[in-house]
Amino acid sequence: MENNISFEIKNLSFAYEEKTILHNLNVKILKGKITTIIGPNGCGKSTIFQLLTKNLKNYDGEIRFSNEPLDKISLSNFAKKVAIVHQNNTAPGDITVEKLVSYGRIPHNKISYSSYNENDEKMIERAMKITGVYSLKDRHIQNLSGGQRQRVWIAMALAQGTKTILLDEPTTYLDIRYQLQILQLVKMLNKKYGITIIMVLHDINQTIKYSDEIIALSSCGEVIAYGNPQEVVNSEMLKKVYGVELDVTEYNNNKVVINF
Amino acid sequence: MTSHKKSAGKITVSFIVLTITLIFLFFVSVNLGSIKLTFPQLLRGLFVEYDPDVASVYDLRFPRILISMMAGSALAVSGVLFQAILKNPLADPGLLGISSGAGFAAVIATALLPKLYFIAPLFSFLGGLFAFFLVYSLAWKGSLSPLRIILMGVAMQSLFTGLSSAVNSMSGKNLSGVASIVEGNITMKTWNDVHILAIVSLIGLVLAFISARWCNLCGLEDKTVRGLGVNIDKVRLIISIIAVFLVGGCTAIVGPVSFIGLLVPHIGRIFVGSEHRLLIPFSAISGAFLFLLADTMGRTLIKPYEMNASVILSIVGGITFIILLRKNGGIYGK
Repeated sequence: MENNISFEIKNLSFAYEEKTILHNLNVKILKGKITTIIGPNGCGKSTIFQLLTKNLKNYDGEIRFSNEPLDKISLSNFAKKVAIVHQNNTAPGDITVEKLVSYGRIPHNKISYSSYNENDEKMIERAMKITGVYSLKDRHIQNLSGGQRQRVWIAMALAQGTKTILLDEPTTYLDIRYQLQILQLVKMLNKKYGITIIMVLHDINQTIKYSDEIIALSSCGEVIAYGNPQEVVNSEMLKKVYGVELDVTEYNNNKVVINF
Repeated sequence: MTSHKKSAGKITVSFIVLTITLIFLFFVSVNLGSIKLTFPQLLRGLFVEYDPDVASVYDLRFPRILISMMAGSALAVSGVLFQAILKNPLADPGLLGISSGAGFAAVIATALLPKLYFIAPLFSFLGGLFAFFLVYSLAWKGSLSPLRIILMGVAMQSLFTGLSSAVNSMSGKNLSGVASIVEGNITMKTWNDVHILAIVSLIGLVLAFISARWCNLCGLEDKTVRGLGVNIDKVRLIISIIAVFLVGGCTAIVGPVSFIGLLVPHIGRIFVGSEHRLLIPFSAISGAFLFLLADTMGRTLIKPYEMNASVILSIVGGITFIILLRKNGGIYGK
């Protein structure tokens, strides 16, 4: 059972200077699932994301990854096990898709990552093919659409060859067509390639549709609900999370939140 | 695919044209002045037999020309490095106050220990590091705002330039070593200076080229780089030491020079793009070209008087800086 756990968070508290963001959080994230963190703005979603990705330190409590304390895992070892797709990614406009995706192999090479071996090349090509950007490989990043660009960032993460990928609001700033493309891609990575997905999303209905598990935070950084979205999402829980009345109905055996 | 090949061709042509132009400028510069030499005469005088005209050119003009070229390279490449690590296209060792910090330390060293002129580069390296540390830590407020770091740099530049002038005035402007650093005057440079600058710039340029891949990574968000298992803070520290080393070395010889580290990387990106393995060597060559051009113009435009290269660079650079400020307001990348 224990080795089924990806991240395990025990009694986690975190404060920015004086302001407490997270208070006594306890969560287990399962391997092989899509787990989505939701909550109102400022609830600490991003803080959890930054803590899980080792961008924030000095927390109270415990975070373990694969049963190892997170702060004992070096940055370079972590990058071999977990890939991250951040929000608001930037890159020099004239970098090619292939070059950017190839950065995903950095964790597996020493400083001399000048020469990629055959396996690296294979992983880069595979990542571009899975995410559907292979035909764009010689294009410059600045000439891509928002949706294509996001798939390139996912390809870079995929090239790292990890069993876990974290995504911070991967659909933000994309129109609905690209949002669905990205979410379907993420779902495919999970179902077809068995990659554990942990992400932060804003849209509650997309969360229900695409997640195996959700972690719902309240505005004061407490876990309100944790589990299968079909079971835990209801009006009462949404009221606690977002502080507004929302109706929940069903469509094609899926729960749907009427958000107007 | 075709666009890829075309850009590779454009890059090769840019390198070749630039190199040929630099060689041409070199011979023009050698030949400008009271002594005229033909090309065969120069080659014979240098390599075959003694020629009094060639000998005086060799002693008087060569050091100045070589120093211009090396200082131009070093400053341009340090500009590339600073722009990369600060994610700020307006970064320049002069505007950041690093050149003036280095210059002040070199002035102190030259005033106090005039006999030990060869350790002036070490002093100016330390002075540059100190200035960079000050700018970086004073501009830091949880994150580095591009504009704040430039403002802090301008303040630092003004402070250290003032201090250097103060030392120069206190010495009654009698110490020629001090005055030449403060004024950025390279007319009296000797082969000794060439040797010092050659060592410093060679080491610095090689290190800069080795760090090119790291510079590329700096174009991504810090958190993205960290996600690839790279300690971005350490990378930034190492690159900034290399950049300050380059600035320190040439400031001790030619004094603080602004804008070349700002101008050249921008020109470079137009021709070879943002890949640092191309941008760094291209900037090294164009930096050499630009500085030598400024110096050559400075000693011919207003004959019989002379203008320092740093003066010309300030005028051209100042105008360009205004244009760049108007254009992008300090936002890097897309």
